[in-house]
Amino acid sequence: MNAMLTVILPPLLQLLLVLAFAPLITGIIRKTKARLQRRRGASVVQPYFDLAKLLKKEVVVSPVASWLFHATPYIVFSSTLVIALLVPTLVTPVPLHWIGDIITVIYLFALGRFFLALAGLDTGSAFGGLGSSREMSIASIIEPAMMLAIFTAAVTAGSTNLSIIVDRLSSTPASMLNPAHLLAFAGLFIVTLAETGRVPVDNPATHLELTMIHEAMILEYSGRYLAFIEWASQMKLLLFLALMSNMFFPLGMATTWSPGALVLGCVAFVLKVTGLAIVVAVVESTNAKLRLFRVPELLMVAFILSLLALILYFIIGA
Amino acid sequence: MDLTNIQTAELLIDIFAAAILVTAFLIVSSRSLVFYIRLFALQSFFLGVVALLVVLGYGETHILIAAVLTIAIKAIAIPVVLTRVIERIHVQKEIRFSISITASLLLCGGIVILADSVAQSILRSPHADATAVSRVLSVSIAMMLIGLFIMMTRRKALTQIVGLLTMENGVFLSGLSITYGMPLIVEIGIFFDILVAVLILGVFVFRINKTFESISIDSLRSLRH
Repeated sequence: MNAMLTVILPPLLQLLLVLAFAPLITGIIRKTKARLQRRRGASVVQPYFDLAKLLKKEVVVSPVASWLFHATPYIVFSSTLVIALLVPTLVTPVPLHWIGDIITVIYLFALGRFFLALAGLDTGSAFGGLGSSREMSIASIIEPAMMLAIFTAAVTAGSTNLSIIVDRLSSTPASMLNPAHLLAFAGLFIVTLAETGRVPVDNPATHLELTMIHEAMILEYSGRYLAFIEWASQMKLLLFLALMSNMFFPLGMATTWSPGALVLGCVAFVLKVTGLAIVVAVVESTNAKLRLFRVPELLMVAFILSLLALILYFIIGA
Repeated sequence: MDLTNIQTAELLIDIFAAAILVTAFLIVSSRSLVFYIRLFALQSFFLGVVALLVVLGYGETHILIAAVLTIAIKAIAIPVVLTRVIERIHVQKEIRFSISITASLLLCGGIVILADSVAQSILRSPHADATAVSRVLSVSIAMMLIGLFIMMTRRKALTQIVGLLTMENGVFLSGLSITYGMPLIVEIGIFFDILVAVLILGVFVFRINKTFESISIDSLRSLRH
């Protein structure tokens, strides 16, 4: 019985943490943006109420929609849940480290995006197709940038396994400041802005604009389905912030499942992720949304930063 | 933080060398003349910091004056002069390219790889005396080539000046990395050379603008006919 508990409890705890904490992060970002615009803004727990409301409402589905439209919310939500078990949050040994490494994480994100884009096309609405095509064209530039940034961290650690990357980095704190590492971090930051539909690339606050990308794809969704998709994208944001903070600066992470280390890990995680979320909010408030045709330039900067990081690793060495 | 500690100095030099390279890439990715000049000022400031770190970390005191001059002239005086030129000529502040930004960023990424292979072959030659900072030689060669690239592809007279100055920063950095800096008298000569060159080029740009009502270098071609 006790052995069962130690197997099941850690993944469960991590899952619950990600599920429960994700809407709060979105709330914090919205609140920070509101304060920066000198508005009072909604409470930081508002996203929880929104999710609860959406879960209670009925689902309206277009009569031409196929099974794909019904399946997509569950696929997106469950693939994000699996990622939540692969990304280091509190403790260094990731619960599902035997399933896969960082490349699995990248492709699980791609799986969710693939189905969202298909569902956007499925109902045949003009907006959906527009959103899908934009999402995919941006994704084609983000993915190599993200891979290069992550590979830099992997090359420094000598492994693509997230647990090992975090372990190696925690044991040699000086390598956190090595220039290749800092550049890869900057590259991944821009990638995060693009992946989670933040301001210079997409505007998360609007539903009725010709420039929107993510919102255009999910325009046809309502009720429970919309709640799952929204929740999944909030978790995606949290997981990206967790990747950035723990893969590059794994300070304070617990290495065992002892209560003391766990509490410290929890505090460090919440502080780091909240700090990054506030930085994201500041970036969103101080930048205007780019014209769609300028977006590839920004993403190319992210790609080049990551590429430079990898080159510098070999030039200057670690 | 103990700056005279060799390891700390090495780490900081690496970080600032990377920052210099990043500013060069940001110059390539930017569209506005004002950004060009601000990024160049930042780049020169980082260069001055690298020189100061060499002074503190390796006790090479003779570069101290060159480091201070770098910050005073290249990070403050030259950007001020260039900003004033822009203000006075009221040109269109957006730059035109002969190669798109995305393509030029990729090309510059290739340039860095090329520069590294060149630098490695220089350092491997039997006559080379590797110093502690010779790792940044590849960065300095990349800077020279990127400066040349900016001069070739950005079609404003002012961007040509920034390209030239970027090349000069690369030369200074390579001097620093191979021999801990050239003799002071040479450095001072170069500084005054650059300062005077920028002043003259500034006046030139002003005149070009008066004659052609633009500082796009395409119109200069018409002088040939």
